[in-house]
Amino acid sequence: MAEILVLDDVLDATVLVGKILAKKGHTVHTFTEEEEALSYAETNRVDLAILDIKLKKMSGIEVLAELKKKNQAMQAIMLTGYPTVETAREAINLGANEYCVKPIDRQELEEKVDKVLRSRPAQDQAAG
Amino acid sequence: MQVNSATQHRDRRYLLVFQQVTKMIAMAHEPRQVMETIVLALPELLGSDACTIRLVSDDGDSFVLGAASGVSAEYLSRHGVDSAETMSMVSAGQPVAMEDVAASPHRPFREAARREGIVSVLTLPISYQGRVIGIMRLLSRSRRVFGGEEIDFVLALAEQVGIALSNAAMFGQLEQQVNFLREVQAISKMVNSTLDLDSVLQTIVAMLPRSLRAQGCTIRLLKPHSHRLELAASFGLSRQYLERGEVEEEENTIRALRGEPVAIVNVASDDRVLYHEHMRREGIHSLLAVPIKVDGEILGVIRILATEKRVFSQAEINFARAVAEVGGAAIKNAATYRKITLLFNQIEEHEQFLGNIIDCIRPQLLVIDKKGHVVMANRAFIEASGKREHEILGMAYGQVCRPEDGEHGCPVPRVLATGEMVSVIQSQLEADGRHWYERSATPMRNHAGEVEYVIEVIRDLTAQRRLEEEQAERHKLQGVIEMAGTVAHEINTPLFAALGTAQLLESDFEEGELGDDLRTIIRNLQAIGDLTRKMATMTGYRGKDYVGETRIVDLG
Repeated sequence: MAEILVLDDVLDATVLVGKILAKKGHTVHTFTEEEEALSYAETNRVDLAILDIKLKKMSGIEVLAELKKKNQAMQAIMLTGYPTVETAREAINLGANEYCVKPIDRQELEEKVDKVLRSRPAQDQAAG
Repeated sequence: MQVNSATQHRDRRYLLVFQQVTKMIAMAHEPRQVMETIVLALPELLGSDACTIRLVSDDGDSFVLGAASGVSAEYLSRHGVDSAETMSMVSAGQPVAMEDVAASPHRPFREAARREGIVSVLTLPISYQGRVIGIMRLLSRSRRVFGGEEIDFVLALAEQVGIALSNAAMFGQLEQQVNFLREVQAISKMVNSTLDLDSVLQTIVAMLPRSLRAQGCTIRLLKPHSHRLELAASFGLSRQYLERGEVEEEENTIRALRGEPVAIVNVASDDRVLYHEHMRREGIHSLLAVPIKVDGEILGVIRILATEKRVFSQAEINFARAVAEVGGAAIKNAATYRKITLLFNQIEEHEQFLGNIIDCIRPQLLVIDKKGHVVMANRAFIEASGKREHEILGMAYGQVCRPEDGEHGCPVPRVLATGEMVSVIQSQLEADGRHWYERSATPMRNHAGEVEYVIEVIRDLTAQRRLEEEQAERHKLQGVIEMAGTVAHEINTPLFAALGTAQLLESDFEEGELGDDLRTIIRNLQAIGDLTRKMATMTGYRGKDYVGETRIVDLG
């Protein structure tokens, strides 16, 4: 099972994602503040980060860049309520594995998470 | 009695001779004819062998042969006529009788007479009104003594010859004057038949020397601003001669420019001419310069150049002056015509240039007179009107300006009424859609400040209007898209939370009424999700009627 970090400025969204992925057996850490999420990732293992593009102070793209600086192997799924070609291109360039448009339903979320985690290198999957 | 009888016989003979001579010369009208009649008749009548007549040359310096009979050409062509003493006496009106020419101190005459067999000579002056105009000589190959009465008789005959010659010369002059008058008329007719300055000048320079039996002719005209003489036309003269230099410093030109005619018999020795060598090379001996004068104004100088040494008679000078005067008027007319033509051409060129500029102006342009008629329209207006220029010109303004909104769309009547500039925006439906025009009318005032014309400029604002509308539409679209994106974004996150939560609950309550309700909620939340996806990805929109005049965006 994987260590998953969820960051969204809407608390209900983080709670929902947490519940869905926890039911699948993952350990989920939810945050609504960017600093707290980055601080957590500083000292903890994160296999997958699920980040909303629009946050309070920073953008999800900026947070992804910071997280990738610390952990290049970390997987990432970007969520957005307003998709643009520009943000999608930037996210993929920074190493995001998926780019999903809200509202994403439960089944779709579960499938995307499984797919991303399966694409990890073998030793990382074993570690998870 | 015998003496008296001889005297009577001689007198009778003299009378007959006198009658015959006067009868003959009365019938002759030309000096040459008179002279030839005399030299042929007198020797027989007076019992001599030969007769010669010589006339004083035009310059008065010598005697030139007029007619001769009974002597050879060699005798006649000797150098000098007779001794200075004899010539001096005859010139003073005295007859000179020489019984034996072998005693003459004049060797050429003496030798020539010897060769010719001449022994005695009677030399008589031919006078007219007390002035010697020539000499007549009776020559005899036998020794002969000329008696006093015989000399008196021949002197009387010579006097008749003088009268006849003068009459004939006068007749000739009259005839020449008549001819000159005809020539002046002919030249006048020719130069006044054209307004082409070059033709006028060329006619004069070609006809004048022909009439005066001269070699060539030049016309120099004063340039209007510099007052320098400029060669305007020439005839019968070489390029080298014509390009010899300025003639303004020559005395003959200076005098001619003062209005005086100048006749020079021998240019080679006359200090009123500067270019002696050029004239010599050109073979010019005499010159006549006359002013070209019109209404007291000197326009230039005509110079007539003769290759033989000659004295221009007063009749010839008057003729040249008359031609110069007639020519001057024609030159002035032609020069004025040329100036007018030039000005007219310039005006035409300027008008054409202005017309081209006006035609190149993209906005339509109209000029309307104070009576409200179109007096000018540029190409843009003509093309837009679909009419021909001649149909538009003169048309009433009301016919060319017919906007949908009536008179308010036509500014010209208001300009004519108020004298103020008026600008209106006019819209009308055309084949390719609605067009907008800005019609600006500006008054054009006369010196008194009254509106004489109105200039109307019509600019087609359609493209500008359409661009503005497109821009407004784009802004509107951008606003709608941004609003849709914002709304979609703001809805999607709570919708995601609501939908996900509902789906989690559904897994817990799959059976029963609660499960059905949850599925209804999920289905409707998913429908909202479909709409927000459409909103987030929209790049354009269509409106659709809602209620009344309200329209909404069609997301379908």
